[in-house]
Amino acid sequence: MAADDTLIGWQHFPALDEATLAALRRAIDNGFRQFTRSHGEALEAFFDPLRVALGAFETLLTQSPWPLVLLALAAVAWWASRSAVVVAGTLLTLLVIGVFGMWIDTMQTLAMVAVSTLLAVAIGLPIGIAMSRSNRLQRGLNPLLDMLQTLPSFVYLIPVVMLLGIGRVPGLLAVVVYAVAPMIRLTNLGLREVSAESMEAADAFGSSAWQRLWWVQLPLALPTLMAGVNQTIMMSLSMVVVASMIGVQGLGQPVLKAIANQYFAMGLLNGLAIVGIALVFDRVSQALGRRLQRHRQAANG
Amino acid sequence: MRPHLTLAAAALLLAACSPKTEAPAAAGATSASAPASATAAACGKVTVANMNWLSAELLAHIDAIVLAKGYGCEVELVVGDTVPTLTAMMEKGQPDVAPEAWVNAVREPLDAAVKAGKLHYAGKAISEGGLEGFWIPKFVADKHPEIKTIDDALKRPDLFPAADAKGKGAVHGCPAGWTCQTTVANAFKAWGAAAKGFVLVDTGSAAGLDGTIAKANERQQAWLGYYWAPTAILGQYAMVKLDAGVPHDPVNWVACNGRADCATPAKNDWPRADVFTLVTERFKAAGGPAYDYLAKRGWSHATVNAQLAWMAGQQASGEAGAKHFLKTQPEVWKAWVTPEAAAKVQASL
Repeated sequence: MAADDTLIGWQHFPALDEATLAALRRAIDNGFRQFTRSHGEALEAFFDPLRVALGAFETLLTQSPWPLVLLALAAVAWWASRSAVVVAGTLLTLLVIGVFGMWIDTMQTLAMVAVSTLLAVAIGLPIGIAMSRSNRLQRGLNPLLDMLQTLPSFVYLIPVVMLLGIGRVPGLLAVVVYAVAPMIRLTNLGLREVSAESMEAADAFGSSAWQRLWWVQLPLALPTLMAGVNQTIMMSLSMVVVASMIGVQGLGQPVLKAIANQYFAMGLLNGLAIVGIALVFDRVSQALGRRLQRHRQAANG
Repeated sequence: MRPHLTLAAAALLLAACSPKTEAPAAAGATSASAPASATAAACGKVTVANMNWLSAELLAHIDAIVLAKGYGCEVELVVGDTVPTLTAMMEKGQPDVAPEAWVNAVREPLDAAVKAGKLHYAGKAISEGGLEGFWIPKFVADKHPEIKTIDDALKRPDLFPAADAKGKGAVHGCPAGWTCQTTVANAFKAWGAAAKGFVLVDTGSAAGLDGTIAKANERQQAWLGYYWAPTAILGQYAMVKLDAGVPHDPVNWVACNGRADCATPAKNDWPRADVFTLVTERFKAAGGPAYDYLAKRGWSHATVNAQLAWMAGQQASGEAGAKHFLKTQPEVWKAWVTPEAAAKVQASL
C-alpha cells in the first residue's frame, strides 16, 4: 500500500473526470443528432443522383445476359490495353469467378469500384492540380490526406449511416474518402516533377497556362497519374469488405459471412475473387497508362 | 443475434483489473469473519468472460464487483465473443464464468460438455430469456394502432419505404453471417413479404442495423425489421415488437426455419432464446457461496433495458453501469447474495 501511495499521482494520467468526459461526448452526440434531424433529408436528396447512377450501373451489369457483359468487359480491356494476354487474363478470371458462383456479387463489386474510381479521379485530379500550384495548399492538405487514409472507417461510417442510411451511397462515400487520397497525392507529385526546362520551353512557345497544363504537364506526368489511378482502384477494392458492413452488396457480404461462421473456403474464394478483379483492373489500367504515353510520345516526337 | 457474431479479434485478452479485498482484521474477529476468510481462500482466482455487447459487459462488471468485494475472489475479466469464449470454456476450462451466454447457437456441443461434466448451467441470466422478432418504432405503432402483427405491417409497404427500391417496402434484416440471417430470410419467405411489395435489406453489420434504427427514430421515419431484446438500442429508442401471430413450433423450427436450405418455410415465431450463466466444473466445485450467487443471479427485461438505456444515455462504461446498478437497485441484487456479502458489497460502493 505504501508503495502505491507514493506512486499514485504518476500512475494515473490527470485526465478529465469521467463525468465531464461523458458530458462532452453526450453534448457532441446530441449536436450531431440535432444536425441529422435538421439536415439529413437535404443531404440525402443531394446524394440521390449518385445512388440512382450507381443503382443503374449495377442493374446493367447484373441484369444483362452474362455473355454480353463478358464481351463488353473484354472489349474494354482490349480498348485499354491492345494486348491479347490482358484480354485473355480478364476473360479467364471472370469465367472462373462465374463458375464458382460469384458472378452477381462480382458484378456488384465491379460496379461499385468502377463508380468510386471515376468519382475519386474526378475529385482527386483537380485537387491535385491545385495542390501542385500552391505550396500553401500542399501544406494544408497533407495532414488532411493523412487523416483520410488512417482514420478507422467505422468512426465516420456510423455517423454517415445516421445521415444517409445504409446501402450504396454511404458505402460509396466511405470508399471514395479512402481512395481519393493517393489520386490527389500522386497528381500533385507528378505535376511537380515535370522538369523546369519543359515548362520554360512551353512558356517560350507562348502557351497559356491551360495549354501548358494540358499539353505539357499532364502528358509528362502521365505515368505518375496512372499510378495514382491504379492505387485508387486498389484501395477501393480493399474497402469492399468494410463497405459491406453498412449494407453494400457484393463480394464483401460473403466474406463477412465467412468470418462470422469460420467458413474458410468461402472466405478464401471470395477473397480471391477480389484479388482477381484487382489484378484485372491493375493490368488493364497499367497497360492503358503505357499505351497513352506511347501515343503522346509518338504524337509529340 | 448478437452472440452469433464471431470476430477474429474476439480472443484478444484484456489485462483486467484484479481488485483484491483485504483480509478481515485479525483483531476482534467475530465468528462471522472466519467463514468469510475461508470463502476468500476457497474462491481464489476467477476469470469472468466480458463479452462484447452491452448487457453482457454490464453483467460481467457486476459479477466482478460482487465476486471481488462480496466473496473475496480475485477476479480477472477476459474479453471475448460467444463462440470463442464458450469454446475455450469447453476445451480449456477457462474462463471460469460466462455471465450472459446466449447458448442457442452452440447448443449441441454445449449440452455435450454439460453432460460430460465440464460445464454447468448455473442459472438463467435473463429470466424471461432473449426475445427475437420484427419490431417497429413506438411512434409508428401509436400512429397506426391497427399494426399489431407482422402481417399487419406487411400490408403497408408504403409506410416503410425502401431507399434502394422505389415503391417497395423495406424489411431490415439481420447482419451477414449471423444465424438470424437465415431465420429472417425464412420468415421473409414464410410471410410472403416479397409478394406483398417488400425487399429484405441486408444491413451488413450490427452497427449498420443499429444505425438504421437510430436514423429512423431520430428523424421520425417508419422502420420495420429484425431485432432482439434486451438491448441498449431498445432502451434508448422505444420500439414495439410485432406479434408473429403464430406460436413457436420447435419441430418445424429445427427442421426448416433455422436452416438455410429450407425450401418452403412456414410462419413460425422465434423461440425464446435461453440466456444462461455458465460456469466451469472447477469453479462450481471450488466457488462455494460465490457459485450460489451466480446460480441465483438473474434479471428481467425491464431491469436490463432500463440499465442499458441509462448506460447508453450516459455513455457509461460497463464498470460505471455496474456501480450505478448496485447503488440504485439494491432490492434486485441483494436477493442474489448472502447477507454478509451484501453488506460487504454495499460498504465498497
